[in-house]
Amino acid sequence: MNAPVSPDALRRQPTDWKGDAMRKRIASRYASERRFRRIGLAAILMSAGFLAYLMISMLSGGLGGFTRTEIAVRVDFPKAPIVIDPASLRGEGAEAVLSSVNWQALTDQAATSALGKDGAWIAPGAWLVVRDAVKADPAILQKSVTLHLPASAELDVAAKSEGQPAAEAAYARLEKAGLTSRAINWDFLTSSDGTDPTQVGIWGAFKGSLLTMAVTLLLSFPVGVLAALYLEEYAPRNRWTDMIEVSINNLAAVPSIIFGLLGLAVFLNVLHLPRSAALVGGLTLALMTMPVIVIAGRNAIKAVPPSIRDAALGIGASPIQVVFHHVLPLALPGIMTGTIIGMARALGETAPLLMIGMRAFIASPPGGITDPATVLPVQIFLWSDEVSKGFVEKTSAAIIVLLLFLLSMNSIAIYLRNKFERRW
Amino acid sequence: MSQPTPPKMSARNVNVYYGEKQAIQNVSIDVDTDNVTAFIGPSGCGKSTFLRTLNRMNDTVASARVEGEITLDGENIYSSGMDVVQLRARVGMVFQKPNPFPKSIYDNIAYGPRIHGLASAKADLDVIVESSLRRAGLWDEVKDRLKDSGTALSGGQQQRLCIGRAIAVEPEVILMDEPCSALDPIATAKIEELIHELRGRYAIVIVTHNMQQAARVSQRTAFFHLGTLVEYGSTSEIFTNPREDRTKDYITGRYG
Ligand SMILES: Nc1ncnc2c1ncn2[C@@H]1O[C@H](COP(=O)(O)OP(=O)(O)OP(=O)(O)O)[C@@H](O)[C@H]1O
Ligand SMILES: [Mg+2]
Repeated sequence: MNAPVSPDALRRQPTDWKGDAMRKRIASRYASERRFRRIGLAAILMSAGFLAYLMISMLSGGLGGFTRTEIAVRVDFPKAPIVIDPASLRGEGAEAVLSSVNWQALTDQAATSALGKDGAWIAPGAWLVVRDAVKADPAILQKSVTLHLPASAELDVAAKSEGQPAAEAAYARLEKAGLTSRAINWDFLTSSDGTDPTQVGIWGAFKGSLLTMAVTLLLSFPVGVLAALYLEEYAPRNRWTDMIEVSINNLAAVPSIIFGLLGLAVFLNVLHLPRSAALVGGLTLALMTMPVIVIAGRNAIKAVPPSIRDAALGIGASPIQVVFHHVLPLALPGIMTGTIIGMARALGETAPLLMIGMRAFIASPPGGITDPATVLPVQIFLWSDEVSKGFVEKTSAAIIVLLLFLLSMNSIAIYLRNKFERRW
Repeated sequence: MSQPTPPKMSARNVNVYYGEKQAIQNVSIDVDTDNVTAFIGPSGCGKSTFLRTLNRMNDTVASARVEGEITLDGENIYSSGMDVVQLRARVGMVFQKPNPFPKSIYDNIAYGPRIHGLASAKADLDVIVESSLRRAGLWDEVKDRLKDSGTALSGGQQQRLCIGRAIAVEPEVILMDEPCSALDPIATAKIEELIHELRGRYAIVIVTHNMQQAARVSQRTAFFHLGTLVEYGSTSEIFTNPREDRTKDYITGRYG
């Protein structure tokens, strides 16, 4: 076949496996392997270090946000300027009776009489605690009881870190009297945005994120997967599909704020969907997530071995049965990986949501996807902008909540992915 | 041979192209149920290509184009009225590389009957699974682990599983593309035995590179060369007294 080679050229020297040159080559091979391993290790250590720094600074700054400083105040109900019959608080009409009372005045008076001028350091929302205590046990109306009222933001800051001199002095006095304590701030987990840092909570933003993510997932997952399936399994290979492929790849790289503008223009101005709502936020983020799912999905579908398709076709499965019985289940883990990445990005997204009005001040949690809402990253952004020092901690605490949300979302997705993973 | 039966499948003047390139030239052949037909020929001569035209698996190759007429029980399988999905159920295929589904052994066999609605109750399906595995000579080895993955079997077991999967839908024709090329002599013998047992019940076409195997399992042999059908006749005649020199050279190992 080939041109004949001269016999001399074919006669080779035997390889010298024991010579110096060979030994040197082997030594340098091992050296480069060691070097490579050390560089890899250094890279891992560096990223682990950054992560550890982030976690430590976040936890040390943010855990305080989940607690509050409380001041023990003796409330002498019989002497208070209110007249409620404890019996009227049992059964129907209790709410009406409760709301007829000026708790604020009662609380202020009790604090002043118990603490003197330091009574001014209780939080503006402290009366809620008094009201709830009465609601829980109307019998205390005939007694004098000690209630732990939340301290104001300034005193809280003084207690936890460096506050203003007046607050520091007041805290020192109260602490010496043994009246201060630290307790978990359940309100932070159950209430929404507010103006006073002692009263704000994360629940509204959390629920907003939950609803927004639900809309995003419900829209982008099926549409993305179906688009990927169509492009891989059905679409003919021609100029049009090439163009669609390029567009989708580019769409995945478009800066998120552009999607926000798109959402503003289309969903709000043309379709007149409600502003600031989880529905519009979810739609906007779905646009952003879809290309990621399509790309990951196509790669996963491509990776399904053709022999499996042949096997199914060969015993008379229809194309759609091949796709849904064999290709999709095998591609699902890969599709889920793409979905995790896309959803994680969507969860942390702030800019496009600012464009569609999800930065509004919303003091009550959204009841549904069409109610005004905000989301965790936007809430973090808003709080980080507040001047009051009490919000610093709240910002860090909100970040912790966001990270936990992310972590649990990913854990569920990874669990599901491993469940579907099959070997072949 | 007794009463001549009409051929199960017959091909007339079939040409197959991959894009511009012609892979099969003017092949005409009849396949019947009483005989096992072997396709032999050097690598790249178009055996697989031709085999895949018989159940329209070539439809999945975008560039492939088929001309000519291929009939199953007298009906042209390339006519527009032919249902490809049903055709592939009637003309089953076993591939060169074992390709069980990454599902349980039971589900591998039960998949075909399920999608074609051949069993209404679980008990019926159990019967189909057991009988298919028995006919494929695999039942005794797997009866205690039907829930295990089909991909966890050995190569030879996987191939027998694939044969069991093909016969579970009771096809009329079975096409086998080098079914034993990855198997050891024992597994090969089992599959050859199986082919003997299936003969008469199904029309069987087997592609093989192993001359002894062709001689052992088939009654009729077709020799392909460079996309053409050089010679087609009874196996004994082809092996003992070939008409063409090319056939003789190939069988005696002078080229291939
Ligand atoms: N999908 C394809 N696209 C283009 N050409 C192909 C394709 N499949 C096969 N061919 C060509 O068609 C010819 C016949 O191939 P085929 O696979 O039918 O050979 P074969 O006889 O089965 O060979 P082997 O014994 O090695 O399996 C070869 O020249 C091959 O290159
Ligand atoms: Mg082949």
